Amino acid sequence: MSVLSQMNSLPMYLICGVIILFVLAMSLFFMVRAWRAGIAIGMDQTKLRRAVTSSVTFTLLPSISILLGVIALSGSLGVPLPWLRLSVIGALHYETSVADIAARAIGLSGLNISEMTPTAYTTIALVMSAGIIWGMVLTIFFNKRYLSRLQKPKNAATSKGGKGFGDVAMTAMFIGLVAAYVGSYVGTFTSTGNYMPLIVLAVSAAAMAVFTYFSEKRGQLWLDNFSVAGSMLCGMAAAVLAALV
Amino acid sequence: MDKKTFFEQYNQRTHTYGRAGLIIGIILMLGCPFVMGLILGAMPDLGAFWKGFAQVALVYIPSCAVEFLIYTPMLGAGGSYLAFITGNLINMKIPCMMNAKGITDAEAGSPESEIVSTLSIAASAVTTTVVIALGVLLLIPLQPILSSPVLAPAFDNVVPALFGALAYQYFRKGIKIVAIPLMVMTVLCVAMPSLIGSVGFLIIPSGAMAIGIGYVLWKRDIKKEVTE
Repeated sequence: MSVLSQMNSLPMYLICGVIILFVLAMSLFFMVRAWRAGIAIGMDQTKLRRAVTSSVTFTLLPSISILLGVIALSGSLGVPLPWLRLSVIGALHYETSVADIAARAIGLSGLNISEMTPTAYTTIALVMSAGIIWGMVLTIFFNKRYLSRLQKPKNAATSKGGKGFGDVAMTAMFIGLVAAYVGSYVGTFTSTGNYMPLIVLAVSAAAMAVFTYFSEKRGQLWLDNFSVAGSMLCGMAAAVLAALV
Repeated sequence: MDKKTFFEQYNQRTHTYGRAGLIIGIILMLGCPFVMGLILGAMPDLGAFWKGFAQVALVYIPSCAVEFLIYTPMLGAGGSYLAFITGNLINMKIPCMMNAKGITDAEAGSPESEIVSTLSIAASAVTTTVVIALGVLLLIPLQPILSSPVLAPAFDNVVPALFGALAYQYFRKGIKIVAIPLMVMTVLCVAMPSLIGSVGFLIIPSGAMAIGIGYVLWKRDIKKEVTE
């Protein structure tokens, strides 16, 4: 049996499937608890439903890109391991680079199916898992303390009667995050001449402006649920068209 | 039971369940390569593991710590337990949760915000898991379509597509905060293209700048409200 067949064998699917099922069950459990708690504290069911539907539609497109990541890695690591790694904690850029580092550490010239052995495969799987768990470790030990400490100044601020700084800080942090990415796309264009990310960014932003116009000025509130996914689709379609030109 | 007591108990249990879930998750993930090794008759090479892990840890442990410090306050208790086990924080969970909070007008730090955040991250995680699982089932017939060279530019640009939509939403919300971080990040990336690959780290100074400006503006607004 070839190494690729061993990596794609039924037991590998079963091992990875069990872990994915556990994480799926945990997500569903948290969702049901949050829904019930929302109703118990008097939240409107429509609001709860909108939170869920908007998140599902928002996630559909990026999920397909993650699926593409599974396809991209399946040639060198089989299907089950990339399926697991990209469903639980992972992100494509992390998994690809870590798998390559681990492959080199075990003596391969890189992440290469022609040199892959079962030992290299299990070692790569261990490095990928051990390298990514630290966010979970920190969350286990410090989440509760960190959050309760953060809530204190927020309460003090709101008790003065003003708008909480929490809202401003979250929006500002997100603006900072988006600004860093936008800056990187401008830098990519000036240094390599690759204008594609900027075109996609501009088309996606323009599509978002159209969605916002119809939602805010024309009262089409239902569009909010699809605005981000729809804008992304427009941006991605622009990439396909720009590549054809 | 009043609303406040109920919510405190809910939050307390969220921490208990969250911790238990993450501990089981870590055990499963670290155990998985060894179970695979038992079945394949090829246990992981621990010498090579430590060598590879040392390199990975240098880059990814600080990055995990930064992610924990920055994103935990945004995600809340339930959201962070789920987000840190399901992954794809920057490119999916955080924008998804912010979008849900925006749509439902949930104020940061409020019980509503905690509920919306947990619902959003959980719905996102379930969707991703289902899409990937279906995709894996259909992998063979789908592969030629999804990996066709015609569609490749679309999937290569998912992240700029996401940030285009979010840039419009968030730049509009905080127009006074945007200018300086955007200008500084653009000048930095144009002047030093080597920084482009480290955009994950650029988020830290960019976010710090935006929060600093946000704080100054917030203080000014509070002062105005008091004098009025």
